[in-house]
Amino acid sequence: MDLLIRVAGEAGQGVQTTGNLLIAAMAEMGLHVFAIQSYMSRIRGGLNWFDVRIGDAPLYAGCEEADVLVALTDEARQTLQPYVTDGGATLFDADPDADDTGAPEGCLCIPLTGIAKETGGSAVMANAVAAGAVFALLGYDLSSLTAYFATAFEKKGEETIEANTKCAEAGAERIGEAAAGSIDAPEPTGEAVSVAGGTEAVGLAAATAGVKFATAYPMTPATGVLTYLAGVDERYGIVVEQAEDEIAAVNMVCGATYAGVPAMTMTSGGGFALMAEGLSLAGIHELPLVIILAQRPGPATGLPTRTAQQDLLFALHAGHGEFPRAVFAPGTPEQAYHLTRRALKIAHRYQTPVILMTDQYLADLVMDTPPLDDRLRPIDRYVTTDAGEEYVRYAVTDDGVSPRALPGGEAMVVLDSDAHTEDGHITEDLEAHLRLQDKRMRKLDGLTEHALAPDRYGPPDADLLLVCWGSTYGPCREAVDRLRSAGRRSAMLHFGQVWPLKTRLVRRAVGLEGNDARPPDRIVCVEGNQTGQFRTVLREAGVGVEAEPLVRYDGLPFTGKDIAERILS
Amino acid sequence: MITPRSDNQPAWCPGCGNFAILKTLDEALEEAGTDRRRLVLVSGIGQAAKLPHYTRANVFNGLHGRALPAATGIKLANHALEVVVTSGDGDMYGEGGNHLLHAFRRNIGVKLFVHNNQVYGLTKGQASPTSDPGFTTKVQTHGVTLEPVRPLALAVMEGCSLVARSTATDREHLKSMMVEALKHTGGTVLLDILQPCVTFNDVNTYKWYKERVRPVPDDHDPTDFEAAMQVAMQWGEAIPIGVIYRSGRESFESQQPVLENGTLLEQFEQAAG
Repeated sequence: MDLLIRVAGEAGQGVQTTGNLLIAAMAEMGLHVFAIQSYMSRIRGGLNWFDVRIGDAPLYAGCEEADVLVALTDEARQTLQPYVTDGGATLFDADPDADDTGAPEGCLCIPLTGIAKETGGSAVMANAVAAGAVFALLGYDLSSLTAYFATAFEKKGEETIEANTKCAEAGAERIGEAAAGSIDAPEPTGEAVSVAGGTEAVGLAAATAGVKFATAYPMTPATGVLTYLAGVDERYGIVVEQAEDEIAAVNMVCGATYAGVPAMTMTSGGGFALMAEGLSLAGIHELPLVIILAQRPGPATGLPTRTAQQDLLFALHAGHGEFPRAVFAPGTPEQAYHLTRRALKIAHRYQTPVILMTDQYLADLVMDTPPLDDRLRPIDRYVTTDAGEEYVRYAVTDDGVSPRALPGGEAMVVLDSDAHTEDGHITEDLEAHLRLQDKRMRKLDGLTEHALAPDRYGPPDADLLLVCWGSTYGPCREAVDRLRSAGRRSAMLHFGQVWPLKTRLVRRAVGLEGNDARPPDRIVCVEGNQTGQFRTVLREAGVGVEAEPLVRYDGLPFTGKDIAERILS
Repeated sequence: MITPRSDNQPAWCPGCGNFAILKTLDEALEEAGTDRRRLVLVSGIGQAAKLPHYTRANVFNGLHGRALPAATGIKLANHALEVVVTSGDGDMYGEGGNHLLHAFRRNIGVKLFVHNNQVYGLTKGQASPTSDPGFTTKVQTHGVTLEPVRPLALAVMEGCSLVARSTATDREHLKSMMVEALKHTGGTVLLDILQPCVTFNDVNTYKWYKERVRPVPDDHDPTDFEAAMQVAMQWGEAIPIGVIYRSGRESFESQQPVLENGTLLEQFEQAAG
């Protein structure tokens, strides 16, 4: 069983703090957690909410209805109360001096802020009051919450711990005996569950892979990775620099990789558009450029704090001219960790740009994740250290990968953005141009050979196959579970690598070749854009998979229920 | 296939100021004792930007206007390298204007040699950001009306470590400025090099520059911001050449705590074992 707690209020009211507090305390108790935020592009006011879904089994997505709504403003209550399940509860942060008779219908009015000021001496502790009240409502022992305060506020001192504890107790008390435990809640196991978020998974993977330089122009929802790396700069030895624009960022990364260190930049659609020329430069320079592309709905500025999967074809085709690239699209924090590391490895192995696509949903979600290795384990840069004076940067080889030396040694390392000869110098010799263009494109064969197979979830003999990529993993997986409960033999195919595709692997996973799976009767491609971009990719890759589209592009993520209901109707 | 043969001969017109700059750079590198193995020449696009191909060095010839960010990345990754940007006025003052402004603020140890001929050569004769008002071209048929960019004043204003001007018409002076720049360790250097374009600029000719350039006065104090601003703004009948400003700021790389443990490249290689 599972339920969803939704904390909602204005930006700056502590919605996030309360959400994070619930995640930390509940995961510690042994509950499975899935959390996601919905917020507006503003620093104060508006309506933001933080969903914490808890369960006695792993959870992979959010849902539209909440079982418990903590409304910190009247707007939050009015907008979100219609989305509270039957039998659910709304805690409303009422004005302590207000007349009780004016309480909105169906609400438990608790002056969260009033109690915090009175008991804890600061309005900031309203989140502790709210957490205490939620715990009481769900019938959870407050000791887990107070134990969490003891660790979280250790540095702030005994006084803070005590004040928060008292606030939580006061919140629980206000629920009263009648309502305490009135909401049916999943049973905690007592064994702590490890959780992680998409942003930290990408950041940690980059830091441990040996990224030494990160630069970006701040842009939601990509900024978190830059912030993460800045927070661990001295631990891992990383220089983090805010660039004057995205053009500078991508060119700085090209420079840093030329000089020999793994480096990366991160942005969203608009910034990525500015990076397109730099991407093309890395293509002809043959540099291991890695870009994190955190998508949000466009066109142009679009919806800056919402989610989308609208930039797939753009990522595949950005940059003038033709050059090989790989594109990854993780679906969970765990995948984000492994695929970020892989993106860096592949970029270095093939000396060509790699793009890792995330989005607001993946960047902000937090869920059960096995502990991620935080030890520094630098990737192989595939550089040659014994190049002499006769060295040429672009020696023609069978696999298109030329021995790569770094500036500073005996070899002169010459790169040109113009067409060039093997030694890197500018040329208009068309034969040389063809030789090197073909050399570069041969790397696509290697990239394809190393392409990851899609992950299949569900039985091999499914009639219905849901195909998805990137952050749609979780909602699709839950949809498969729901469909199977409804008696539909369903499975999911998730692409963590969206380019290049290895035809044989894809056909086997779908069931069109080999004995791994039976061909499904119906294939549905589930994605967060209007035009069904991954369907186009499947066609372009010639894998022979024709899928019908199931799309969502309103700025919000899919839910399992949403997908399942649309399939069934 | 009909194809030109590959060669690596300069693509410049006979008499181009770039020849003088190239020759002087080679001499200056020699005089400054620069190890070519540790030298990276970075450029963008334009006739000046082809210079790195015509000498012996590590080369990063990148995108139009983007030499500075690339040079910044190179210097950050391995600050033991001597990173010299050598490119033209269109590349540095036009297409790359935003990077120029922020490079001065950042003050990383990159040496910036701008071949400033006040005209676009590669695209055949349009106005550049430093063209004088009234300068007519096939595009600016009624003459330039835009106020020229004052790169030296911009550099002084934003705290560039060393700001200087020289001219391709006086190779001895140019060499002394280049050596000064190469030996400088305090951060970004802007060396604006006035350069005649024999094909597309019949106003700012060898003669025009020779008649106007004169050394900054002996009593000029380059550490005096206001005096430097005044000299940096001088243009027209008298054009000052020499060291104009020293900001005395600390370099970007010297203020990075992470770089106290060596270059990023060394740190990576140490961790990789």
